[in-house]
Amino acid sequence: MPHVQFLRYYGEALVLDAERARLVASNIANSDTPGYKARDIDFRNALQARLQDPARPPRVEYRQGLPVGLDGNDVSLPYESVAAARNARRTAATLKFLDQSTQGLIQALRPQSNGG
Amino acid sequence: MSQPGIYEISGSALLAQRQRLQTIASNLANANSITSAGGAPYRAREVVFRAVPASASDPSGPETVRVTGTVQSRAPFRQSYDPGSPFANKRGYVVGSNVSRVRQMTDLIDASRSYAANVAMLRQAQRIDQQIISGF
Repeated sequence: MPHVQFLRYYGEALVLDAERARLVASNIANSDTPGYKARDIDFRNALQARLQDPARPPRVEYRQGLPVGLDGNDVSLPYESVAAARNARRTAATLKFLDQSTQGLIQALRPQSNGG
Repeated sequence: MSQPGIYEISGSALLAQRQRLQTIASNLANANSITSAGGAPYRAREVVFRAVPASASDPSGPETVRVTGTVQSRAPFRQSYDPGSPFANKRGYVVGSNVSRVRQMTDLIDASRSYAANVAMLRQAQRIDQQIISGF
């Protein structure tokens, strides 16, 4: 069904949001682990790749340019908090858009009282 | 996706940081411990964290934290001159623990900050989950 293509778009975006939230949680959880390197995914590229091939897992990359501590850990708590907040906002926005755009569809599918 | 979620990842960090706090509490509690001559004085302990991939099939993905063990400090023991004490050795010194209070306090601040960051992450995950549920 080509007209419900947007459902897949929102679905893939939500899957990526969840994966990013997990990675940020992992970064914050490991902020004191020696040798741990903060990681994330490039949302735009990952979304394009997933829309073409949903079976492929998103490519995880290491954060670049952050100061590395003496124990080899480069997690920055303020940076990760901002990333988490931004990701949460985006997830909420995607959910809102998805809800709004499906409401019309559901309305159209619902049988009308006048027999239409 | 049946991967371990934020709850498992942040939960493992809360457990690990709590163990770290317990070790700091033990160190601070024993900072003034002394031993009789020839005994083994208290050594400051420190936990060792290690990152463990949350799912075995995805080693580059999110990782949980695990405490792999504790190490004991090799710093020199504190000695105070008190020849009258029944715990003094032949030269009149009482040997105490090698706990550095300043180090333990900074460690304590760092541990509680990390703990708070993980709690904040859990709260946020909960908020998002609630939004997803209320969308239906």
